[in-house]
Amino acid sequence: MTSTSSRWAFGSARWLWLLACIAVIAILPLVFQDSYWRGVMTICAINIMLALGLDFIFGYAGQLSLGHSAFSGIGAYTSTVLVTALGVNFWVAMLCGIGAAGLAGVLLSAFAVRLKGHYLAIASLGFAVITYQILVNWISVTQGPLGIYGIPSPPPLTIPGIVTISFSDQQNFFYLVAGAALLSYLMLRNLTRSPIGDALTAVREDEISAASLGIRGTKWKVVAFGIGCAIAGLAGCFYASFIGTLVPDAFFIVESFMLLAMVVIGGRGNLWGAVLGAVLLTVVPELLRGIGDARLIIYGLALTLVALFLPGGISGVLIQFARRFSGARGALAAKGPSHA
Amino acid sequence: MLDLLPIFAQQLINGLVLGSIYVLATLGLTLIFGVLGQINFAHADFVTLGAFAAFFVARATGGNYLIAILAALLVGALLGSIINGTVFSPLRNADETRPLVATIGVSVLLENTALAFLGPVPYAFDSPYSSQVIRAAGLFFTVQNLLVVIIAVLAVGSLYAFMKLTFIGKALRALAQDREAAGLMGINQKQLIALTFIIGSAFAGLAGAMLGPILVLTPFAGASVIVKAFAIVIIGGFGNIEGTIVAGLLIGLIESFTAQFLSPGMSDIVVFGLLLLTLAFRPTGLIAERREENV
Repeated sequence: MTSTSSRWAFGSARWLWLLACIAVIAILPLVFQDSYWRGVMTICAINIMLALGLDFIFGYAGQLSLGHSAFSGIGAYTSTVLVTALGVNFWVAMLCGIGAAGLAGVLLSAFAVRLKGHYLAIASLGFAVITYQILVNWISVTQGPLGIYGIPSPPPLTIPGIVTISFSDQQNFFYLVAGAALLSYLMLRNLTRSPIGDALTAVREDEISAASLGIRGTKWKVVAFGIGCAIAGLAGCFYASFIGTLVPDAFFIVESFMLLAMVVIGGRGNLWGAVLGAVLLTVVPELLRGIGDARLIIYGLALTLVALFLPGGISGVLIQFARRFSGARGALAAKGPSHA
Repeated sequence: MLDLLPIFAQQLINGLVLGSIYVLATLGLTLIFGVLGQINFAHADFVTLGAFAAFFVARATGGNYLIAILAALLVGALLGSIINGTVFSPLRNADETRPLVATIGVSVLLENTALAFLGPVPYAFDSPYSSQVIRAAGLFFTVQNLLVVIIAVLAVGSLYAFMKLTFIGKALRALAQDREAAGLMGINQKQLIALTFIIGSAFAGLAGAMLGPILVLTPFAGASVIVKAFAIVIIGGFGNIEGTIVAGLLIGLIESFTAQFLSPGMSDIVVFGLLLLTLAFRPTGLIAERREENV
């Protein structure tokens, strides 16, 4: 009986968490009415998606990618060029952007998966440099360093007879991106708890032992890389239509390092840690805007200190605290009966 | 056809000068990887800081470029010693991505701190040798260019002599081959690893002093070279000194020729295309060195 009640309690806790997340997303734009903070929140949701994808690749599948922003750039440019130059419907273009980024990720991973550790890191870095240079030099398509301007926001979504949702409205756009971020989180969380997640963990911890159990490491690594990159592609589509302009510099290598900082500081291998890292590294620099261009100095310092002293990141520290706390409670509960 | 030959020869010279700088900038990366199997991502910023050290010392001494070179060497060695003591030594037994991630943080930190203090406007680093031009057979190059090549040859030569002829060099090679076995033979790993960082980073500082008067000197001068440096290290084969030298010169040549015959923007695409091809077909580098892997 205790077991069923605790399982039920666990299940209901999960639903409560989900409801709480939805409530927070719903309330946030009502609390922050001015367009500046609504913009920060939307960027934050985009960064959450990027960090989640990277954490899935790096934290779960153990592949250090130093070029994650390149995939977001591929998604952004694919969808934007389709919309602005060819007049394709935004939602169709968005799917193409997701597909292009995912495909690029699969292709890079399929050949890089044989490489270990630092080789993959450098290969992904090289891929990011090539992508950036193509965006800068393929002027007939990407407009080069001048960028693409006047990118429209997504067209309104009409449910006939009921409501028309316009995405030129900042609040609705935030709901769209935050909803996508939440869905990405749920999808990745279910994936990590599925047999695929177990396979990935086994491969990350010991590829040879995993292979001896019949788990094909390379296959799952490629799948994980593709999924992470597809999410980055979606984030890129949102980014382009939110900002309204697209320049190659938005996807330069240093942006990939920011994403890496989010994952590492939040705590790799923990999806909510990636969320935490993305929120912290998006919002805190905005609060510190008064100190000028120190944003990157803070990023660098925080990344160094966390990599040196907190291998589990902030979420690792929180988990340790929670364990100690529940351990203390458990000890109290164990004491209880003897006391009585 | 008559016009093409001088252009070709000129680009050959430019490519060799650029390649010499690349060799100096990447040798440290390869040395450290060879001994430790680790990448110092902040290596490029040691190049930048070496360049600025040389610049400020040259200004303070009224343009004494040779003292400036010495200062850059020392700054590089000091930075190498610091990064080893603060990052690589404490994380010796940690997950292999942690030192890399930590040094990415150090790199972002150094670049932006330098930006805050030095500003984004390029510094004009006038070496007294930059203005002396040598003309021969329709070609021209500055004494600075010649100096870069000579110093690179001297530096690489003395590194070779050190590695092949001295006892410490022998110990270093032993360490690179098999760290555990070398340790069992009574080789002091800690000291030798520290020495590797000092030598490798001093090369980075030296590269900075050479690069300063030739390329644009900003807080991101090294960063613009570093991504290429990684390409060179991989194309040459990680930890393979001869390979790095060949690949460094090769990339320098490729870069100057693509800039001349295609467009400057294409050089990165060609270089990194070569990198991806190398990774796809010869991951151990162009000059392959057999390495057994323990299961």
